[in-house]
Amino acid sequence: MIEVQHLTKRYGPFTAVDDVSFRAETGEILGFLGPNGAGKTTTMRVLTGYMPATEGSATVAGHDVFADPIAAKRSTGYLPETPPLYPDMTVREYLTFVGKLKLPASVGKAERTSRVDAVMAKTHIADMANRHCSKLSKGYRQRVGLAQALIHDPEVLILDEPTAGLDPKQIIETRALIRSLAGSHTVVLSTHILPEVSQTCQRVVIINKGRVVAVDTPDNLTRQLKGSATLYVQVDAAGADAAPVLSGLDGVRRVVELDRHEQMVGFEVAADADRDVRRDVARLVVDRGWGLLEMRPLRLSLEDIFLQLTTDESGNNAPPPESEQPHA
Amino acid sequence: MRNAFTIAGKEMRGFFVSPMGWVVMGLYALLFGYFFMAHLTYFVQQSMQSQMGGGPININQFMIRPLLQNVALINLFLLPMITMRAYAEEKRSGTIELLLTSPVSDLQIILGKFLGAIGFYAALLAVTMVYVGILFAFGTPEWRPVVTGYLGLLLMGGCFLSVGLFISSTTKNQVVAGAATFVVFLLLWIISWLGQSAGPAMAAVLEYLSIVWHFEDFSKGVIDTKHVIYYLSFITFGLFLTMKSVDTERWRG
Ligand SMILES: Nc1ncnc2c1ncn2[C@@H]1O[C@H](COP(=O)(O)OP(=O)(O)OP(=O)(O)O)[C@@H](O)[C@H]1O
Ligand SMILES: [Mg+2]
Repeated sequence: MIEVQHLTKRYGPFTAVDDVSFRAETGEILGFLGPNGAGKTTTMRVLTGYMPATEGSATVAGHDVFADPIAAKRSTGYLPETPPLYPDMTVREYLTFVGKLKLPASVGKAERTSRVDAVMAKTHIADMANRHCSKLSKGYRQRVGLAQALIHDPEVLILDEPTAGLDPKQIIETRALIRSLAGSHTVVLSTHILPEVSQTCQRVVIINKGRVVAVDTPDNLTRQLKGSATLYVQVDAAGADAAPVLSGLDGVRRVVELDRHEQMVGFEVAADADRDVRRDVARLVVDRGWGLLEMRPLRLSLEDIFLQLTTDESGNNAPPPESEQPHA
Repeated sequence: MRNAFTIAGKEMRGFFVSPMGWVVMGLYALLFGYFFMAHLTYFVQQSMQSQMGGGPININQFMIRPLLQNVALINLFLLPMITMRAYAEEKRSGTIELLLTSPVSDLQIILGKFLGAIGFYAALLAVTMVYVGILFAFGTPEWRPVVTGYLGLLLMGGCFLSVGLFISSTTKNQVVAGAATFVVFLLLWIISWLGQSAGPAMAAVLEYLSIVWHFEDFSKGVIDTKHVIYYLSFITFGLFLTMKSVDTERWRG
């Protein structure tokens, strides 16, 4: 179980994570979704005890991350954004070293060796056991990083972009592996890839500019935003200036011009949640004498939802800050 | 402590599998060999002369003592190369994230790194013992000043290494770490020279601060607790600074 309450992290004057709260129940896979620079890595680094928070509290597997860091770390497996490999060690040497650090003192040499073999089999790296970490491809580095996180069979797994750099087959296998961990483990994974969230996660936390903008199941998120039915309405040239008139309709939240040709103009009409404005829109268009060429509901993919949630009021997509610094 | 030894083992291993470790070891043996030859030649000359007039001269006093004092000079150049990677490299490669998120305390990590560095330094000293062994094979030096001399060297090197560790923990660039460490070593080295131009009271203070001055008694075969305490507190202070620095970096992120 993971519980984060009012977590704030500032780097000097810059607030990277701003009053973030969420919970992941035991056995759950929680997706952490957000654009570049949203604060995903920062949140994970606080959860794993890599750095302290400026404010707020976090509990991992029942241990307070700040008050009892060693116990919390013992229950946590962490795959950082860059897999933390020692280039001059072979994969087996590396996993043995991590095993010595993370397994309790009571675990003997034979058991440690069998743990190393087990995680290598799980992450499909057994064929690379004697290869130096410096000679591994990006995908294999990622898998060794994952193996390292699993070595002490931790209750909580925190995975920062676990499928980044993997080939399609590996992505499928890794997702299956992560899914198989659910139930007995609590998993938090971050990603930019939306299908990953709908395929692997039971719940999603969408974070933008350090703030949580939505927490729900992928299905609910899709439904909720679809509920605020968005229509595509195309009228002929007579309705060229229809936008302000359509916006005036009761229940219409927003009208955006999508496309315009000589003969036609198309609008996206977003209505308030659970309002069906199709009849009103049709009546208005006919009353005004514009030719109604097309009207259909716009289906929002998770991508659209993501963009919508992480888009600020001015309508610009929150861009990743150009000056984003490499992580310390 | 088990964790500290795990990390120390990893550090030691790192020296022996990296070209850097072998380069340092080779240079150490080479420089020591050079000083060994120089002192030996001088000693042979001196003893020839003394045979003509007066009794034989003492090999401990005229050969081994100045030779061991020269090790301080070798340390000045080569020990920065041992510690410069310690933290800087872990930060650059991101492996620091593994260490800091493992169920290991900061103190255990620092002790592990320090033990690893001093273990490798001990291996360097062991190589130099081969040369000194030659003297025992062909002559009859007193062993006591040799043993205390090496103990002193170990403690003196420990001071350098603890400072080097601290400097390495403040940067992620190992070249910067190495250069800064060298400069600080140099300052610690020459601080006693400054004393010679100052008044006697000042000279005593500066001399006391100088890492090398405390070594002299060791090389004469004397273990004075005053010097042992100086070295041990210096090392503790260096490790304490490292601890503070790691903690500060952690807050900074
Ligand atoms: N050590 C640091 N010092 C100062 N600012 C930092 C530091 N680390 C991260 N930041 C800033 O904090 C913000 C959040 O960064 P973070 O790495 O948490 O984002 P992220 O969601 O993981 O992004 P990405 O998807 O690109 O991995 C960014 O604006 C980043 O520039
Ligand atoms: Mg990130």
